[in-house]
Amino acid sequence: MNSDAPEAAMDRRSFLRTSAVFSAGVAAIAAGLAPLRQLGKFTSVDEFVQKYYKELTPEEMKAVLARIEDEVQRQYGIRPHVRDYKPMNGVEYVYALNLTRCVGCRKCVHACVAENNQSRSPEIQYIRVLKMPNDGTFDMDKGDHNYAPKSVPEPGFFYMPVQCHQCKNPPCVKVCPVKATWQEPDGITVIDYNWCIGCRYCEAACPYFARRFNFAEPSIPKEQLNLNMSYLGNRPRHKGVMEKCHFCTQRTRVGRYPACVEVCPTGSRKFGNILDPDSEVSYILRNKRVLVLKAELGTLPRFFYYFDV
Amino acid sequence: MRNYLRFLRRCGGVALVGNWHYYAWIGSLAILCVVGLNAYAKQFVAGLEITGMSDQVSWGVYIANFTFLVGMAAAAVMLVIPVYIYKNEDLHDLVIFGELLAVAAILMCLAFVAVDLGRPDRFWHLIPGIGIFHFPGSMLSWDVLVLNGYLLLNIYICGYLLYCRYVNRKPAKWFYIPFVFVAIFWAISIHTVTAFLYVGLGGRPFWDSSIVGPRFLASAFTAGPAFIILALQVVRRSTASSAHEVAPLPARPATVPAGIMRRPATPADMELLAVHLPELATVSAEERRACLAGATVLNALAGDVLLHQGATEDEAFFVLKGRVVVRREEGGRFRTTRNIGPGEQFGEVSAIAGTPRAATATALVPTVALCLHAESLRRLMRSPKMNEIITWRMNERLMISDRSLFVLRGIVQVSMIINMFLLANELFSGFYNSSTKDISWRYLVLGLKGYHALVPWFWTAVALNLTAMALLMLPLSRKLKWLNVACVLCIFGIWIEKGMGLVIPGFVPTPLGEMVEYVPSWNETLICLGIWAFGLLCFTLFLRMSVPILQGELTKGSET
Repeated sequence: MNSDAPEAAMDRRSFLRTSAVFSAGVAAIAAGLAPLRQLGKFTSVDEFVQKYYKELTPEEMKAVLARIEDEVQRQYGIRPHVRDYKPMNGVEYVYALNLTRCVGCRKCVHACVAENNQSRSPEIQYIRVLKMPNDGTFDMDKGDHNYAPKSVPEPGFFYMPVQCHQCKNPPCVKVCPVKATWQEPDGITVIDYNWCIGCRYCEAACPYFARRFNFAEPSIPKEQLNLNMSYLGNRPRHKGVMEKCHFCTQRTRVGRYPACVEVCPTGSRKFGNILDPDSEVSYILRNKRVLVLKAELGTLPRFFYYFDV
Repeated sequence: MRNYLRFLRRCGGVALVGNWHYYAWIGSLAILCVVGLNAYAKQFVAGLEITGMSDQVSWGVYIANFTFLVGMAAAAVMLVIPVYIYKNEDLHDLVIFGELLAVAAILMCLAFVAVDLGRPDRFWHLIPGIGIFHFPGSMLSWDVLVLNGYLLLNIYICGYLLYCRYVNRKPAKWFYIPFVFVAIFWAISIHTVTAFLYVGLGGRPFWDSSIVGPRFLASAFTAGPAFIILALQVVRRSTASSAHEVAPLPARPATVPAGIMRRPATPADMELLAVHLPELATVSAEERRACLAGATVLNALAGDVLLHQGATEDEAFFVLKGRVVVRREEGGRFRTTRNIGPGEQFGEVSAIAGTPRAATATALVPTVALCLHAESLRRLMRSPKMNEIITWRMNERLMISDRSLFVLRGIVQVSMIINMFLLANELFSGFYNSSTKDISWRYLVLGLKGYHALVPWFWTAVALNLTAMALLMLPLSRKLKWLNVACVLCIFGIWIEKGMGLVIPGFVPTPLGEMVEYVPSWNETLICLGIWAFGLLCFTLFLRMSVPILQGELTKGSET
């Protein structure tokens, strides 16, 4: 018994030391993680296990839409209509923008923000308007993104709005590691906000600066919320995922114009079905000299610019 | 399996023991880890808003560090190729350190990708089988595969070799050589795939260059071996003890008369050796008897020196009973290179080669050793089995020689020259033509439209790399002190060149010509520091576990 004592004491001491170090470590880690207490509601079990958009059965989709309506109601106190608008058969959307007519008033930007429930703080906008000098170069590096004169247009400049070009060969879709973004049969490239992991590879891939990331939780004043929502379109997003122009799926897939087309005071924006030979866009592509941005990249945009004269 | 678990438990036990330097080092790394964890918790709550990133510059230091570290991981191959393809003897003992560095580097890579994700909770979407894996379309899915594959390969190879050393079993070639060769190709592929992440983005002209891949490899093979040169010296220093610290060796009892008892060897001694060395059975009894000509048996007490470093003798020893430690003195410091038990040999290298003894062998406990002439040893080695086991055990040592560091110096030197040559090529094509496609190069090197956040970074990298290259080419860097300076310069120079100098300028200006600059935020920097501390902590623990195994101090035989 006596001979065991020193060893037992040693054991006790080393046990005490080990447990002191161990509990100090646990305490330090707990203190380090303390900011997580401000996290609030981050995700739910249903949201976490939700399947990929293309694998959802109609019943599962119904449940998902109801859950999203609940979430929006909880957050904003109003119940929206969230629907999963499907592409129409025999439709492929094309956009044409008249650079002669555009005056750079940015009404399209504001209409887009309101229609698509874009975050007001931090600000997210899908349309960027460049003020370009009329010096015969057509060089985007000379474009001014932050012009703010008393009135537009200014002499010596033309204005070039840029948004998602809904490419036929979209680099953003190619690079997504989880197929959270894809091209629909009507030509619109959409994002499943519940599948995106937020790696921002698509943002690096896009040659048109068309994609936006939610660097913080978006905020929208409750009274400005557009309650007509689509799953792949304008439903409110959360922080950590990508979003982009989707040609207002909640409008165009029921036969209406996108908000930017409707609001344009100069009629510079044209939108329609390229598969319909009688549509306005078909007429423009047939009869005007059109151009696409960065044609050399082979992205095949569905967004065409043209000049009137 | 049970043995393997005990092996892991003992390794874990060893990792938690050290002197106060060691505790201070791992303690500070652990504190930095927690600081980084705290910063990440803040980012998790607030979102990536609290980084310096924006929609315009959507990748920052996280991806920059990731890119650099993939290179560090790939650089392990620069030890593997000389050893397994060119049979380099100097680096033989050290391959495993390169592989352990690869494991630590990949762990850091995975952490850097994880903190960059907007929705890390959805990582399962990336797992093939349960998620949707965009393979082979997305280069990022390739990266997920190659990085995790490389991690597993290296864990397996290191684990297997260390475990074999632990149980004192010869590793079966088929269990690791094929994996080593797969890992060579895999190492090249992880860095090429990482380059393709950028090169595959046609809309970003800065990266639209087919030499990004070769540049990545050249810079990786510069910074990686440079880091290994420094790490090996740290290992060498921290495992050495100065002359007055050699105390742990038992002192010879003063009451016993000096001199080791020696007697002629008998066939019974040979039988005893055969018990511990079954391969001896392949040698005929006649041969064995012939080998005993002139052989003696030494009865040493604990603390007796069996052979002295620097002496030239033609005798080799086999331990029949007891334990012998082999220590090498370099610059007044001692370090253990081998730890030998019954059935194993020592002194054989110098006996066969006729060179001076490379180290001193001392009995740890009362020891009986069979002492043979070099001629007899050669005779025993005519049996293929004996030859195999003895040659294998010759390599069972841990010797970080200056020569091995200078082999690595050669690699760093050549890689740095190639790296600078490739950079010069990029600069030429970026500047001689006035294509607007090359505007990001102007921004990086000279600044553009009044924006020049990256200019000091770029020129610092160039200055560091050029100085390092000059040092490496001069005979001056044959002195370890200057070689170390060159290595530090390489590591920082390449880190800037590949991080701030390669990832960020790709985003400036934006594809629409907008100028938005990027500066990492304080919180972002803390997260990076935390991940680096985590990686260095892993690497330190790996080294702490593997060094005693390689020295033969931590073996199955020493289990209590």
